[in-house]
Amino acid sequence: MMATGNIWRRGLFSAASLMIMGASAALATAGAARAADSEIVVARAMDLNSLDPARAYCDTCQIYLSAVYDTLLTLAPDNKTIVPDLATSWEVSPDVTTFTFHLNPAATFSDGTPVTATDVQWSLERLKNIKGGAAYLMDSLKSIDIKDPHTLVITTKTPNSEFLGILSATYVGIINSKLAMAHGANDADTASTTDTADTWFLSHSAGSGAFTLQSYKADDALRLKRNASYWGKKAQVSGVIIKQTADAVTQAQMLQSGAADIAMQIDPDTAKTIHDANIVFTTVPSYNYVYAAFSPIAKGSPVPLTHDVREAMALAIDYKGAIDFTVGGAGNLQPSAIPNGFPGTADLPAPVTDVAKAKALLAKAGYPNGFKIGLEFPAMDVYGIDISLLAQKLQQDLAKINVSLVLKPETFNVWAGDIDSPGVPFTIGFFAPDYFGSAQYAQYFGMMAGMPWGKRAGVGTTPGLDGAAELATFNKALAAAGPAQEAAYKEIGLQMIADKIILPIVSPDLVLAYAKDISGMRYSACCNLPLAEIVKH
Amino acid sequence: MSVHTIVAVGLRRGLFSRFAGRVSWRSAPVILGAVIILAAIVIAITIPWWSPYDPIALAGRRLQPPSLEHWCGTDALGRDVLVRTLYGTRYSLTIAALVLAVGVSIGTLLGAVAGFVGGLLDSAIMRLADITLSFPPILLAMAIAASLGPGLVHTAVALIIVWWPIYARLMRAQVLNVKGLDHVDAAVVSGAMPGRILFKHIVPLCWSPILVNMTMDVGQVILLASGLSFIGLGAQPPTPEWGQMIAEGAGSFYSWWIAMGPGLAIFLVSLSFNFLGDGVRDFVDPRSRVST
Repeated sequence: MMATGNIWRRGLFSAASLMIMGASAALATAGAARAADSEIVVARAMDLNSLDPARAYCDTCQIYLSAVYDTLLTLAPDNKTIVPDLATSWEVSPDVTTFTFHLNPAATFSDGTPVTATDVQWSLERLKNIKGGAAYLMDSLKSIDIKDPHTLVITTKTPNSEFLGILSATYVGIINSKLAMAHGANDADTASTTDTADTWFLSHSAGSGAFTLQSYKADDALRLKRNASYWGKKAQVSGVIIKQTADAVTQAQMLQSGAADIAMQIDPDTAKTIHDANIVFTTVPSYNYVYAAFSPIAKGSPVPLTHDVREAMALAIDYKGAIDFTVGGAGNLQPSAIPNGFPGTADLPAPVTDVAKAKALLAKAGYPNGFKIGLEFPAMDVYGIDISLLAQKLQQDLAKINVSLVLKPETFNVWAGDIDSPGVPFTIGFFAPDYFGSAQYAQYFGMMAGMPWGKRAGVGTTPGLDGAAELATFNKALAAAGPAQEAAYKEIGLQMIADKIILPIVSPDLVLAYAKDISGMRYSACCNLPLAEIVKH
Repeated sequence: MSVHTIVAVGLRRGLFSRFAGRVSWRSAPVILGAVIILAAIVIAITIPWWSPYDPIALAGRRLQPPSLEHWCGTDALGRDVLVRTLYGTRYSLTIAALVLAVGVSIGTLLGAVAGFVGGLLDSAIMRLADITLSFPPILLAMAIAASLGPGLVHTAVALIIVWWPIYARLMRAQVLNVKGLDHVDAAVVSGAMPGRILFKHIVPLCWSPILVNMTMDVGQVILLASGLSFIGLGAQPPTPEWGQMIAEGAGSFYSWWIAMGPGLAIFLVSLSFNFLGDGVRDFVDPRSRVST
């Protein structure tokens, strides 16, 4: 009896255990299914100017485009290595002008249409001809030849060792050409005036990425849903809502209340004040930075902004103090306009503060008693930095050499217009990379004729800025690879430091803040925040 | 001695005794308000001589909470919030004084002329005032300040444009009341010039409600000017103006002390002017007092 009783009890215990295990497994499966079906909410101040890959040019655009439009190549998590995306393999000619790509035959757009070489050609030509903010990426494009539906050859005008990196930029996302053309898009030379698809792209997407556009309401939310027929590894969440949230404080409050899962514009000072076991804060170095800049040819400066004057002002800036004051020390000094970690930046000399030398230089330039000059800047927060605060810090610093700054805060759009016309003698700006590669910085900040800051600084007319040597070095960098390329970019970096036109002030760390049930968060130099890798447990 | 002079002298003679006779526990808010306003004026005038810190220079470690060294803490640039708040008194009181001095001058002059002359000129001035008053004050001030560009002077101009019609209406109504009095008829009969009748026999008897309104409006002007600075249309950094300081504090929400100083200052000064305005109204217009 006793034995029988034990058997019964053991049987009952085993049955109960099995039932509990079964129930647990069922619950776990259901939990996993729920997690996979759940949406994530990203609280973010959106700066979207368009949802059309050829017209968009902003930080939020990078997040959206990388989620919806696959590119030929992309950037590995180390933020340096180029890895396949739509192209499974590629060959580069020895002179770095011819690039052959083999597309993945399995790749399809979200409507099931195969991705072909024609779509790639059309998308790249259109990006060039729309002449949007990111069109400069296609400046070196000469021709695209289609060998077969899954093979194409791209030729550049000059050697371009960074072309593979350029193709990982989110703006070079591949579009379903037939679908887009049916709604007013075209890739003709006249596309900048004849392409009418911008509005259609605000409510539709035509990519081959892990998500598709569900809806977009300006100043409200951008909603993405998982591409159920994605040809690659499917997204881990059913959808993403990027909720317009203007400031860091509100983003932090939404995170604390559970109204948002992710916020990535919380400044380090605010992050330090939040002690919540349910929120994870990860601080990572970024390639973003904020800089001060001179336009010696701009009207409105009370004194000629000669090299001595520029150097004096650069020496008066307390760079370490600026990092402390704007991001609570969570940032880095940046020597040149090429961000730390990019090719050619190793061992560049960090900016220094020397008030005595600055005063001596000003006296030598003929201004021992200083002068008063305006500082126009966009009154906004970027990368966790309040630019108004930074402007006030510069005002404090330059007062030490009797240079009195008159602060002129402007809206972003007014400032962006003013720096080109009529020009601003002294300003503050900011920059984030479009891909991993130093050429974009040489192109934007280099003292070369025709380049944006080259024009603003007056290359060719401003003494000491002839542009020829820097252009030669840039061409050398584009034609080289490996250490030779690094050496050429280092030369450009040193020249940028010597020019004293662009003065990088702060390279802030990026605060990734997210709920503890979120994983897969990382900062990408090309894509900002790769949404397809995020998991909600 | 004209009739209005007799009235004015009579008022002056009884001024102190009337005030002293009315002091009671109900006067406490008025006295409190007057003391705070007096203190604010003294601070505004004298602060450069005794301030321990420069309002736009580094005073200590950044983002320090209130302590014995920095009673209201420090802001994101390490500036002393209390010192900046006290310096802010200069800007707020100056802008209020400027707006009311110019706004009242323009408004009362136009209102007096409109009420006295009447006819087409009256209609033209009053319709202009009506149009201005038909816009919500903050909206109109924002539109004007935005079109002129940010800055304290432009803020003052915007507020003057918002404020003058109030006083034009008030003065016109007073002039219409007074111009029917006997002493005015006597002046007309005696052949006095219109200008003399208006400015010597009518306007001096119209100031009571203007004075009351001015006192009450100081707080409103300070609030509106701070509001314009808060949204970036008024004072610009690094000016220690209260609205501008609150805007900076809003960006560092968890460092609550940055906005606390200027916030309390706006509250205290506006409330004090309201208390004082109530007192002045009770004093010059006994009918408005509530019997208890």
